[in-house]
Amino acid sequence: MATVEFSSLVKKYGPLEVVHSIDLAIRDGEFVVLVGPSGCGKSTCLRMLAGLEEISGGKILIDGQIVNEIEPRDRNIAMVFQDYALYPHMSVYENMAFSLQYRGFNKKEIKTRVAAAATTLGLTDLLDRRPKQLSGGQRQRVAMGRAIVRDPQVFLFDEPLSNLDAKLRGSMRIEIKKLHRRLGVTTVYVTHDQVEAMTLADRVVVMNNGRIEQVGTPEQVYHHPETLFVASFIGSPTMNLVPAEHDGTLLRLNDGSVLIRQPENKAAQPGAKMFGVRPEDVTVAEGPPPEGHSEVEVVVDVIEALGADTLVFATVAGSPFAARVPPATRLQPGASARLRFPNDKTHLFDADTGKALA
Amino acid sequence: MDTPSRHADDRKTAVVAQRMKKPFLSRKTRHLAFVWMLLLPALLVYFAYRAVPLAWNVVLSFSFWAPGKPIRFAGLYQYQELAFYDGIFWEVLKNTAIFMLVIPISIMLALALALLVDQKITGRNIYRTIIFLPYPMMVVAVGIVWRWLYNDNVGLINYALRSMGLISRPIAFLESYDFALAAVIAAAVWQILGFFMIIILTGLQNIPPHLYEAARIDGARAHHRFWRITLPLLRPSLFLCVILGVIASFTSFDLIYTMTNGGPGHATDLLITYIYKAAFTLSRFDYAAAMTVVMFVLFLALALLTNRLAGGDAGKVDISD
Repeated sequence: MATVEFSSLVKKYGPLEVVHSIDLAIRDGEFVVLVGPSGCGKSTCLRMLAGLEEISGGKILIDGQIVNEIEPRDRNIAMVFQDYALYPHMSVYENMAFSLQYRGFNKKEIKTRVAAAATTLGLTDLLDRRPKQLSGGQRQRVAMGRAIVRDPQVFLFDEPLSNLDAKLRGSMRIEIKKLHRRLGVTTVYVTHDQVEAMTLADRVVVMNNGRIEQVGTPEQVYHHPETLFVASFIGSPTMNLVPAEHDGTLLRLNDGSVLIRQPENKAAQPGAKMFGVRPEDVTVAEGPPPEGHSEVEVVVDVIEALGADTLVFATVAGSPFAARVPPATRLQPGASARLRFPNDKTHLFDADTGKALA
Repeated sequence: MDTPSRHADDRKTAVVAQRMKKPFLSRKTRHLAFVWMLLLPALLVYFAYRAVPLAWNVVLSFSFWAPGKPIRFAGLYQYQELAFYDGIFWEVLKNTAIFMLVIPISIMLALALALLVDQKITGRNIYRTIIFLPYPMMVVAVGIVWRWLYNDNVGLINYALRSMGLISRPIAFLESYDFALAAVIAAAVWQILGFFMIIILTGLQNIPPHLYEAARIDGARAHHRFWRITLPLLRPSLFLCVILGVIASFTSFDLIYTMTNGGPGHATDLLITYIYKAAFTLSRFDYAAAMTVVMFVLFLALALLTNRLAGGDAGKVDISD
């Protein structure tokens, strides 16, 4: 186990800078998920940590030691790749034993370690098989087995579940989480799937355009997004974000006709804002609004019944606005409706900087 | 319902009923007939130009026959002659075996070149083209070019060797019993090298880069990665080269014919050129047929052996895990 630190980490491809001076400190035994859209630099950061990409600037430290110039094999890390990267011409046993053969283990030790890892991951009956004889989930487990067999300081996962179907992804997520609990190894996990990020991480690092937007626990990034990007990236459906104008006392939507009472303790400065509220915090209004609540008049576009609850997709002042409501809703597409939300669940962002306003 | 529309409905029903009627041939039979119809032209060509000549060749090998004369059964006479009385046959068989050195030499060189041009180096496509260029050239042209290169008076090779002070007198490579076969082998390697390189390069590019990255993290150094990842995963490509090399070794008629015509003596005669001479110089078609059968059996055995060693997947490029 070890700490991992990125210090002013930069990656350039020729003149193009794709990772812009990132700072991040990962604690010993922590499970950190780097999440962000494609091209945000998360995989590049992971590959620099693995030693598969040159570092253009800054430092990476593993357990306090700068590893910029250290070969991947000497970093004592293990990595699980998106396409598993299993050696197709070797059996499951040989795949798992491969790394041990280059680390001075004798045959008996290798056998013991592989057997232990295979037991942990339920691979004992598959040791003689070739990767192509395995299902996607089994291959994924072999890839993890290959990683844990070495007892590395840091585990790296590069979108390991993206090739699996939704059901298998769910169960593998749980397995990965259990494995981390059992082994307690520092883990850096890259994904573009925010559900994976939220369910697996001790801390989530939300990245965009080669920069870190926010670092925090899943609850922090969900309930207290620091930027518009984080607000729009985390959550499904994403947070309702509506352009608004603050005139010092009141927050008006862009059409001017709809008025939202000023969210408490927010937006001291007048100007263009983005108003946000999560669909989960929106209800269908009945009767007069209670104290500390606001309402908006919307036109319902689409209703999606998910069984456990219903998603209402509507439009307010020309912007999309969603609500997650109980299944038995009386709303109809095309009709107007009043939607309500508590003021203390609303968010306000500076429209220019995208930063959250406290 | 009015009358015209009822008539229209009746007509539609009749058409549908007509279509529903059981056809003369079953669906399966019609399908088979269609398949055979498509296959027939190719099969005719195959039988006319492959199967029948091959069968005729086998018949001829057990016969006495010369053009214009009646055919007579000869039993194993032709085979006995080549096995026990024709020393040249064994010499050309030995030459053919030696000529097969083209296979390992060109595969090793092609592998080295493929590994080089697979690197991210400037102008790698130009190098690839230059190396591949000899392959599509007409073999006769290659033979003539190399004959000039080896020429003892005006040849570039002699000139270079003399300029470097390695030899004092020119060597007549293609007229020398010691050098002729080696010289022809060198030309054959030069010609086929580019083709093998392309095959191996394709194989290399089919190896997912993540495997090398995983191996680097797993602790494998460059030479470990070569022996444990590259080479095993190139196996189908390498075996394809072997099979193509075996074919080339048995059929390199044009190169030998243009460079040495089998000489000096029979020093560079291969089975294929010797068969040609037996048939078309000595008019011994029956004897040539027997040698052709031997060549066919040897070739078949080698091809099957190679494919077996390759695990039945020679040439297979899909190495997806």
